[in-house]
Amino acid sequence: MKTRFFAALVILLAVFITLPTYSALAVKPIVLGCPLSTAFLYGWDAERAITLAVEEINAAGGVNVAGKKRPFKVEVIDTRDLEPGVPVSEALLVVEKLILEKKADFILGGPVRSEAAMAAMDLLSKYKKVSMLTTGVLTPKYHARVAEEYDKFKYCFRITGEAVWMVTGEIIPCLLDIGKRFGVDRLFIMIQDVAHARAGGGIIAKVMAKKGWHVIGEPEIYPTGTTDFSMGLIKAKKESAQVILIWMDMPETSILLKQWYDMKVPALPFGSIIAAAEQPGFWKATEGKGEYCLANVVNAGNAPCNATPWTMKFFNAYKKRWNIEPEGYGTSTSYMGPYVFKDAIERAGSLKSDAVVKALEKIDMMGVYGRIRFDPKSHQVIPSVDPEEGAVGTIFQWQAGKRIVVFPKKIAMGEIQLPPWMK
Amino acid sequence: MDILIYGIINSFSLALIAIGFSLVYGISRLPNFAHGALYVITGFIVWSLLNFLKINYLLSIILSLIITGIIGAAIYQFILIRVRGMAVSEIIASYAIGLAMLEGFRWGGFKGMTYTLPVFIRGSIEISGIPIDFQRILLVLIGGLVVFFLWAFTHYNRIGLALRGIAQDERAAMMLGIDSDMMALVAMALGSILAGLAAVVLLPMGNIVVEAGYSVLILAIAVCIVGGLGSWVGAILAAFMIGFAQIITVKYIASHFHMVVAFLAIIITLILRPSGLFGRQKELEERV
Repeated sequence: MKTRFFAALVILLAVFITLPTYSALAVKPIVLGCPLSTAFLYGWDAERAITLAVEEINAAGGVNVAGKKRPFKVEVIDTRDLEPGVPVSEALLVVEKLILEKKADFILGGPVRSEAAMAAMDLLSKYKKVSMLTTGVLTPKYHARVAEEYDKFKYCFRITGEAVWMVTGEIIPCLLDIGKRFGVDRLFIMIQDVAHARAGGGIIAKVMAKKGWHVIGEPEIYPTGTTDFSMGLIKAKKESAQVILIWMDMPETSILLKQWYDMKVPALPFGSIIAAAEQPGFWKATEGKGEYCLANVVNAGNAPCNATPWTMKFFNAYKKRWNIEPEGYGTSTSYMGPYVFKDAIERAGSLKSDAVVKALEKIDMMGVYGRIRFDPKSHQVIPSVDPEEGAVGTIFQWQAGKRIVVFPKKIAMGEIQLPPWMK
Repeated sequence: MDILIYGIINSFSLALIAIGFSLVYGISRLPNFAHGALYVITGFIVWSLLNFLKINYLLSIILSLIITGIIGAAIYQFILIRVRGMAVSEIIASYAIGLAMLEGFRWGGFKGMTYTLPVFIRGSIEISGIPIDFQRILLVLIGGLVVFFLWAFTHYNRIGLALRGIAQDERAAMMLGIDSDMMALVAMALGSILAGLAAVVLLPMGNIVVEAGYSVLILAIAVCIVGGLGSWVGAILAAFMIGFAQIITVKYIASHFHMVVAFLAIIITLILRPSGLFGRQKELEERV
């Protein structure tokens, strides 16, 4: 009896002694803390894209950190910053929680709203946490602030497009192209009452006026949650607008387009940012009323095209994994986020912030939406209209139920068409 | 002309949104803060019946209104009845129910911009050069019918008369044998159906999103405060005042002040006449 008791005790002791050893041997994951507004487009699609990339990376063995393979682990917390009222303080709490409680090694994705992301910069600087914005946040002030106070904000990177390039490099050239092709030059601007839209709409109004277009009145600004655009559209019709530039990321933009169709406003709707029209389900949701609407999805890969060999590979993988095509402008960039971190960590051979910052500054890889490099001073991804040179954007048009890429020319899959009541 | 046409449309939209809230408060003195959630829930029920069960559109609407009415009655019978008479608890309880329903939908995956209902009739016409789609014309007609129905119901129907009796003087009505709790239950069901009716008329013009629940509640409260809490006539009048003020603001001042109008109306009303245009709550105190 005594012998049996002694043997059992020895076995138990052995188990207790070896357990911690095994857990110590288990590979510690690299935690990607993702502050995302998950109830909204630009949030949930980013979460899906990050998850997909992390699944692929982990299935291929993980990240090689100084010779040791470690998997990524995704921790997502809802920031709610895309809600009306923009609760910035809530987004900041989320970022801090990811750093302190979830022990995030890196911050990836958001905060999504420019106001919240700008406010989070100080927090990231305080904790010296490398962050990469992959969705939302179009304000040029973000990377300007990094350039101005490099030592303080060097941990902040943005891999997605920003408003200035979007406007000057993509939207305006596309508008001028439309003007030249169809002989139109009367622009009416409808924007949402948020920082990026006000800034973007204002810049477009000024630049297009300088380019010889007739910009009708001041941009019409609508508060988040507006459900009636009739007065604006009547004004556009009365003033003989030929292009309606829309910059809104609220779901109610589908109401705007339905009203546009019902009123048969003879002007081409051009969504600089138009959340509702970006989504693959938009056609069904508007019963086809959104046909001819142009939408900017900021980064290539969010609508089918052949920007790089990886573009359709990602597009199809996303569709297979989530049973839907890439949905918003931050999808392809959020997918690239983990890959970019993987590359930087492997070259740095460490998870230390300063080493990873240096590695990110030197990154040069061909991604889903073109060549990915960061400006070493501002940490903004370098844009281009040629995928061989930099990160390319995408403007598509809804045509017969499909999203047809029409700009930039290098990746276009079709030509812009006018609605029949404009001809 | 555009102000007149779209002012009327906007006013009827607000009236439809607010009338259910006003009715419930007028009869049972219950501020139903789940009103916006009931609006959204109806939209999702119709959508689900249409898309999952492939039921005829009209039948889906009728079924959804019945279901919403039952939900409203259940909310009163199982939860609100326990806190009736305790104003703060009523607000907290009904708001919590609404919050749970709305966030439950969000959690359940009902998020995004692709949940929509078809319009009743496609197409549009021009009135004096102002384009207007048939759905908005129907909105005005249905809004008018609802107002007429409510008037007729509360003047010529036994239950309607009982509801009016409770609304006018609960104690006197109870002495005449009218069951106050039963009438509150009926009011809650009817108020929920009206919230649902607003949803089936208004949602085809846009999309069904959880956030609409919050904005609808705010608008309903704004209209009811201006009109006088519990006064149906006041609510309709206030809907017209706010509706036209919003359209005039968009046309002559700036579109981004659209929402400010409703909040400004609340503030002005609370300063000048806290009981609203037709409210009787603090009438005596105001006179004093």
